[in-house]
Amino acid sequence: MHHAGAGDVAGRELEAAGAGPAVVEYADGDDASAFAQMLGGLIKANVASRPPRRRDFDALKARVGIVVTDIGEAVTLDFQGGRLVVSNGLQDGRDVTIRADADTVMQLSNVRIGFAGMPNYLESTGRQVAGKLLTGRLRIDGLLGNLTTLNQVTRLFSVAE
Amino acid sequence: MAIAAFSPEWAQAFKEEINRSPVYRQAAKDWKWTVGLVVEAEPDRNFPESKGVVMDLFEGQARDVRVGTAADAQACDFVITGTYSRWKQVAQKELDATRGMLQGKLRLKGDLPTVVRYQKASQELTECTTRVPVTWPDES
Repeated sequence: MHHAGAGDVAGRELEAAGAGPAVVEYADGDDASAFAQMLGGLIKANVASRPPRRRDFDALKARVGIVVTDIGEAVTLDFQGGRLVVSNGLQDGRDVTIRADADTVMQLSNVRIGFAGMPNYLESTGRQVAGKLLTGRLRIDGLLGNLTTLNQVTRLFSVAE
Repeated sequence: MAIAAFSPEWAQAFKEEINRSPVYRQAAKDWKWTVGLVVEAEPDRNFPESKGVVMDLFEGQARDVRVGTAADAQACDFVITGTYSRWKQVAQKELDATRGMLQGKLRLKGDLPTVVRYQKASQELTECTTRVPVTWPDES
């Protein structure tokens, strides 16, 4: 039996930056929503397990909103170059805002990363995500002018192997 | 014929549903971890003690599914916890498990990237529960 490296999704510890685990903080502390904790936990675990993701995490400076349209949940991810602050709800000053239903948000995390670190929109999941973007089921405000940011965020989200 | 929810017979029927599912077999073909479902007590709904569902899932098959204590389930690699009412909603397709976790109605413990990677398998497990006809203690 393999062990999955279990960790509590609700963990809110702050850890040293640099070579150590990624710093993920919750602006709302103990009141951080389940969605905020899941996204923060996902990025933290993803960065910890994949060195290329760490480079993105350390370089990225952007404020990204995510709205899950069918459950009315939203968070703001404030990437501050090696540090991430996750807030409940949409905060001001966002560079990019992603709006989609829960299934699509989960699909975004399963987009494979392909050549030169670019999200692969030609394989199955990537095609479905691209299709939803074209049909409006996935909306990305601020897409134009922030493609590099969006690619970095996609890499940080991606759990696909 | 309906089976009492969260009984040993229910666990056996759930296991058979999983092993009948080609969707699950494909989506979970590399899954190698145990999953525990903690069903928290709700005495006012005639569910007086918490129970645990322990699932030994391996490469697209359910090797074992059994009902034990909450502590048994908490010892698994991945643990999903919710009240009796929440699990009943999941089994009746009133609550999607993924949405439930995003909303905090179900609480997950385990490696998140792995869970997200196997989201389709997780959804099919939920589908399997909905195919087992059950009687509910708060309706009997």
